Amino acid sequence: MKILLIEDEAALRDGIIAYFTEEGNICETADDYASALTKINIYNYDCIVLDLTLPDGDGMEILRELKRLHKNDGVLIISARHSLDDKLSGLNLGADDYLVKPFHLSELKARVSAIVRRKNFDGNNLIVFREISIDTLAMKTVVGNDNVNLTKKEYDLLVYFIANQNKVITKSALAEHLWGDEIDLSDHFDFIYTHIKNLRKKLVEAGCNDYIKSMYGVGYKFSS
Amino acid sequence: MKLAQKYNRVNLITSLIILVLSGAIYYLAIHYILTNKLDNDLKIEEEEIIASVLKYKKLPLPSDFKDQKVTYEELKNKEPAERSFSNTSYYNPEEKEIEPGRSLLTNVRIGKQDYKVTITKSSLEAEDLVRLIFLITLGVIAILLISLTIVNRFILSSLWRPFYETLKQLKAFNLADKNEFSVQYTQIDEFQELNQSVISMSDRVRQDYKELKSFTDNASHEMMTPLAVINAKLDTLIQTEALSDQQGELIEDVYLAVNKLSRLNQSLLLLAKIENNLIKDEEDIALDILIAQKIRQFKELFTAGDIRIEQHLDNQHLLMSKYLADILLNNLINNAIRHNVQGGGIKISLLDGRLSIANTGSGKALDGSRAFERFYKDSSSEGTGLGLAITSQICNLYRYKLTYNYETGWHIFTIQF
Repeated sequence: MKILLIEDEAALRDGIIAYFTEEGNICETADDYASALTKINIYNYDCIVLDLTLPDGDGMEILRELKRLHKNDGVLIISARHSLDDKLSGLNLGADDYLVKPFHLSELKARVSAIVRRKNFDGNNLIVFREISIDTLAMKTVVGNDNVNLTKKEYDLLVYFIANQNKVITKSALAEHLWGDEIDLSDHFDFIYTHIKNLRKKLVEAGCNDYIKSMYGVGYKFSS
Repeated sequence: MKLAQKYNRVNLITSLIILVLSGAIYYLAIHYILTNKLDNDLKIEEEEIIASVLKYKKLPLPSDFKDQKVTYEELKNKEPAERSFSNTSYYNPEEKEIEPGRSLLTNVRIGKQDYKVTITKSSLEAEDLVRLIFLITLGVIAILLISLTIVNRFILSSLWRPFYETLKQLKAFNLADKNEFSVQYTQIDEFQELNQSVISMSDRVRQDYKELKSFTDNASHEMMTPLAVINAKLDTLIQTEALSDQQGELIEDVYLAVNKLSRLNQSLLLLAKIENNLIKDEEDIALDILIAQKIRQFKELFTAGDIRIEQHLDNQHLLMSKYLADILLNNLINNAIRHNVQGGGIKISLLDGRLSIANTGSGKALDGSRAFERFYKDSSSEGTGLGLAITSQICNLYRYKLTYNYETGWHIFTIQF
């Protein structure tokens, strides 16, 4: 997928790029408003990751410009402002999602993947990873030919893992993804373990390889 | 005691004393004058008797005197009595009753014979006059006191109205409110000065507060980006291959600290936002449904802590921000879980416009006066110390009453809507 990252903070930009570029994605960057405008005028992207506060302009203006150009690029806003108004006006201006800083790169990746998936397949699509295929519309998981009955949380976990395949994902990122940041789970990481154990068991029972590796202390990794 | 009351009291007591004293002096003075006049009349009678004795060498007949009684007594071998005035009684033959009188005792000599002469005159008229004057004085005192009271009450209360108006606004003064002081125009210099001082003071305080708040706001925002950088770098760091278990543990601790820091920051921002009244998306919220939803959401945490949950939810609709309602419930339920004990319990009841969330926990009551302060927390608490401050701030915003109680092992937080 082709991604444009509009972010003025160099350190953050580098981190995101490093996380995204590996698996053959094309990832371009713009560090200010002017260069961002140039790029969206010339190219099309599957997803634009947009920081709202730029040194020489308002990120909202880029959304307006996209709308004016009738572009169909997916947009994910990343902002330091946890403001409901910003979120609503961003979504009203055509953004697909809104992520508040600080965030986990795995969360960003999962959200960008979801946006790209929706854009490319018009909401009717399959996530395929080797013998696992997931129908995100019907929320159905199939291993080989067998239907695997997953709970909502196990399903979310699996989709998240596949979006971040071959990456180490921290327990806190998983917890935040599954329960949202409303519940402070810092001292309750055991839950994640329980859900992962169940997911692993169900997949293996359906004849799937065990792709989930536990990385001691840090988290988990989903890799072939 | 109110100033007007105090002033009135002093004023009235002083007036009363002065008026009573002057009434008494007045009474005594008139009494003296009238007695003097009576005595003069008696002296004139005496002179007439003496003149008549000198002229006719005999005593005039007692019946010759009108409006007064004259008696003679022959003094045999007795020393003549001293001439003196005295108060006696007087029999009024016309009215046929005894009246107060004034008499003069004197001596008359005819030839060698001494006579004691008593002239008595009714002092009823004089007494009546004194009584009348005394009554009038009393009446004047009463009228004066009553009118003083009334005038004081009305004039003082209208004079002090601007003061009370200012006082009322001072009492209702809230830093977070935007509305300005609206002072009443007054002609009294002191009150004008007071109003101006109050206005300038409130402006100054507001300005300072605003700067402090925008500082908090900016500082928190500025901190978010470096936090995001730390997080992103950590996420990248753990992707490197040769990460030992020990390093993994260290990194996890850093993650937890960063997570806590960003929560803290977000809480501070949220507090500033609520105080600035920046969250205005009020909507109709079915609280009972929202609570039931929260209980489902927290279900795993209840199970993990082996916490029994009892709930009684009646219908309750509120007009508030969904975002804040979520935070309010999350904070209270999170607290009830976090400070609970293994195998404890939580009781949630929504009854008669009152939500109470009770949990078992440490057998020691919180300091109720400080529980809602920022950064007040148990030394063992893992939280930010802002949860209850935010909860109380949300309650303030919507004028709900949040209270904390401790009853035999249960920590109870109650919100009265």
